[in-house]
Amino acid sequence: MVKYICKRILYMIFVFLVMSLVLFFLYNLIPGDPARAQLEPIKDTLTPEEYQFRYAQARKQLGLDDPPIIRYGKWMKGILKGDFGMSSVYKQPVKDVVTVPLKNTVFINIFVIALVLLITIPLGIRTAVKKHSGFDKTIQVLTVVGYSVPIFITGLLFIFIFAVKLQWFPVSGMTTPNFKGTEFERFLDIMYHLSLPIIILVVTSLAGVTRYVRAAMIDALSMDYIKTARAKGLKEKVVIYSHAWKNALLPVITLIIAWIMSVFSGSLVIERMFNLHGMGNFYINALNNQDYNVALAIQLFYIIIALLSNLVTDISYGFVDPRVRIDQ
Amino acid sequence: MDTKQISNKKKDKKKKSFCHLMFINLFGGKEKMTMLEEEDIQSPWQSVLSSFKSDKVAMTALTVFLVIFVIVLIGPLVVPIDLSFSETTQQNVAPGLDLMKIPQDLDGKVEQIAIGPTFSIGVSTDGKVYIWGKTKINKNVDLKDIPANMGKVVKIAAGFDHALALNDEGKLFAWGNNRQKQTSIPVELIRDKKIVDIAAGYQNSCILTEDGYLYYLGNSTNNDFNEFHPYQGQLKKVITTSDTLIGLTFDGQVVHLGTQINSYTNIPKNMGNVVDIAATASTVASLNDEGKVFIWGNITSRDENKIPEVKDKIISIQGGSYHYTAVTENGEVISWGSNCYKQSTIPKKISEAKISKVYTGFYQNYAVTTKGKVLTWGLKGYPFGSDELGRDIFTRLLNGGRMSITIGAVAVIISTIIGVIIGGISGFFGGKVDMVLQRISEMVASLPFLPFAMILSALIGNAMSSRERVVLIMIILGLLSWPGLQRLVRAQVLSVREQEYVIAAKSLGVKRKNIIFKHILPNVISVIIVSATLSFASSMLTEATLSYLGFGVQAPLPTWGNMLYGANNSIVIQNYWWRWVFASIVLSISVVSINSIGDGLRDAIDPKSQER
Repeated sequence: MVKYICKRILYMIFVFLVMSLVLFFLYNLIPGDPARAQLEPIKDTLTPEEYQFRYAQARKQLGLDDPPIIRYGKWMKGILKGDFGMSSVYKQPVKDVVTVPLKNTVFINIFVIALVLLITIPLGIRTAVKKHSGFDKTIQVLTVVGYSVPIFITGLLFIFIFAVKLQWFPVSGMTTPNFKGTEFERFLDIMYHLSLPIIILVVTSLAGVTRYVRAAMIDALSMDYIKTARAKGLKEKVVIYSHAWKNALLPVITLIIAWIMSVFSGSLVIERMFNLHGMGNFYINALNNQDYNVALAIQLFYIIIALLSNLVTDISYGFVDPRVRIDQ
Repeated sequence: MDTKQISNKKKDKKKKSFCHLMFINLFGGKEKMTMLEEEDIQSPWQSVLSSFKSDKVAMTALTVFLVIFVIVLIGPLVVPIDLSFSETTQQNVAPGLDLMKIPQDLDGKVEQIAIGPTFSIGVSTDGKVYIWGKTKINKNVDLKDIPANMGKVVKIAAGFDHALALNDEGKLFAWGNNRQKQTSIPVELIRDKKIVDIAAGYQNSCILTEDGYLYYLGNSTNNDFNEFHPYQGQLKKVITTSDTLIGLTFDGQVVHLGTQINSYTNIPKNMGNVVDIAATASTVASLNDEGKVFIWGNITSRDENKIPEVKDKIISIQGGSYHYTAVTENGEVISWGSNCYKQSTIPKKISEAKISKVYTGFYQNYAVTTKGKVLTWGLKGYPFGSDELGRDIFTRLLNGGRMSITIGAVAVIISTIIGVIIGGISGFFGGKVDMVLQRISEMVASLPFLPFAMILSALIGNAMSSRERVVLIMIILGLLSWPGLQRLVRAQVLSVREQEYVIAAKSLGVKRKNIIFKHILPNVISVIIVSATLSFASSMLTEATLSYLGFGVQAPLPTWGNMLYGANNSIVIQNYWWRWVFASIVLSISVVSINSIGDGLRDAIDPKSQER
């Protein structure tokens, strides 16, 4: 097991390096000269000779004349030290700028995951137990619709109904501007603003998870030990919740673990839609503002999250079901 | 053979109705057989087909998708899209085809009709004012709120977003948008004067009194108007283009009432005695007493100056947004200029009738016959409304659908080709090749899809034209979505490779190429088809999401996703619902039906999956 994990981690580092190389070269495809940009504000105060001198100096300082592979090395070295460069919009190190949206995203997603699990697990079990009943078929059709309809359409619809028509929730934003009050009132205000995005995120994730839980539960219910349990004369409740569910839990747990990792990435569409200051919206803004240092850092962060969640899922498979020999 | 005949006879006896047979063909429904009959032996594909046919959900989805597909395939040929089109006067028009639906009460006794961009005002011979079309200007202003107690109205004028009415006592009324003070009547100034004519244009109103004086209200920065023009006291008629004023004096001279020297001031010489003037948004026309028409101004590519040859003398002329209509002394109507809404194509019923008067404005035309009947042609309205640039949403939906489906299809073709080749090679050859290819595949699969597609589109597509971006999006989607299919194909090939018939083929010395294409591929193809269908849906979704976020296909090229791009604020969501509802509906229906088709195919090909 330990050997396997080490192998996987080495492999992850390799993939990460390859991806960062690809991103770095893509990044260098962008036309633009950082040295010239750096000198732009003081251009008028310099004589042409002075400007040429300063320009050459800036190029040297930024290492623009080095071969790409050396520049990549320098860039990577910085990243390993935690230096992602400066955000050209905020004029601050990327590391400092990213913390606030990261916190917000995690805050939002904790609620989403809790609510989704609370709804989907009972629903999935019920549909599996009452397989092919009217209730099950309705849920099946709803879930097909649920995972086919794009999230922004669900979002638009919910905004139209709950924010515009019924006016229960605000249309966008995270807080009331210039909000004053105690910490608790502040928290309530944030929750008031976040409820609609959270509801939309929950509703859009229901379909997939419900189907997953249902499939796992059906698999578990078709096992021989369920027949034995029923033959023993156990109550149906005990059969379902004690025998079947315990076994269906295993695949569900692996799904949840992978999912928890995605807490950090945030939803691009919903954060954009409600103008929430989370990772997704922050990433889009960085791309739109051509703040590529930030965009690149977030992209690398996303890749790390994806790789880690793959790893954790694979390992958890092994822990949860010892029959799965992952090291082969 | 026997059983077939029996079943045929049975069919004849039952005499199923045509509709019933159609239903069975389309949505399935198995025939019942007697004890002695048995089903014909079917090839695997036949059984797949028949079990797909018996899946009602999938067949309905297939029908729905085929209908949408055919519509978006043929639609753009019928209504081609003009990518550079934009029209301020037609912004955010609500759906409906009622722009020229003249009220029943007014028909037959029309005194005058004045036409605004999306509404028209009519006054009957007994002085009652009617208004129809899309009259809502904004949240607070609706032109339907006609002032009460106007008395007997004799003259009306419709501007961009306001209206004027003059009653028989010479009293003037104005309503509508008053942001530029275009409806604030200067009561003090005109108290003792008799108003003879009114005109309304883009955020402005003109009042002409009996003694030839012009009073101007409204926006004077957008409209070139010289307050101290030298023609006060000589004016008989005033018309407005979208940015200036032109007057006609008592002695038949056309004069420009602005300060600037431009193409409007380039008035043709030797026009003789001008009796009528008219204006489009950017040109001016004048008609002299010999029936000759002169046109000048900023003539656009819409051919406002191509006056058709007529035998008879023209007696009156009217101008729309980019077209003119004129009536000859024989009651014949001619029209020329822009024809994007068929506003300068005279319908047959009008060329056959004898017309006494024509009212033209913006894109609408009303002709009153000598018997008093009103006939219309031009822009009826927009079935699905218009967007923020005045473009018809229906046209954009058709053309956008073709774009969305093409992008989805090309992306799927790319990803399927890559997936099949890599999966096939990986599974067939195994060993080190397999190792390397699987690692590459894992790498691509572990990329966070949407953010990575966005950064690619932002970095590479930075300096691209919108058509090049379309290709870029197809390639990005194709290049990022193959690992799933690759894994399926590989697993399938691995299992097929070890089957007896392949081993037999190998030992018989069949060429490797033939083994792959004749023995292995046909057994893998079902997996490929199902996976391609499902990833077609997800490609369309991803494209829509990318375009919605502004990283996919960019305007002016329409796709169902980027039509929703501008819909992301509460004003649009609330007031201009048609800008997001229709695109959302077609996109959702398409994706739901493609997914259902894919599910149905999977169930048909692999009956075991139905257990789940």
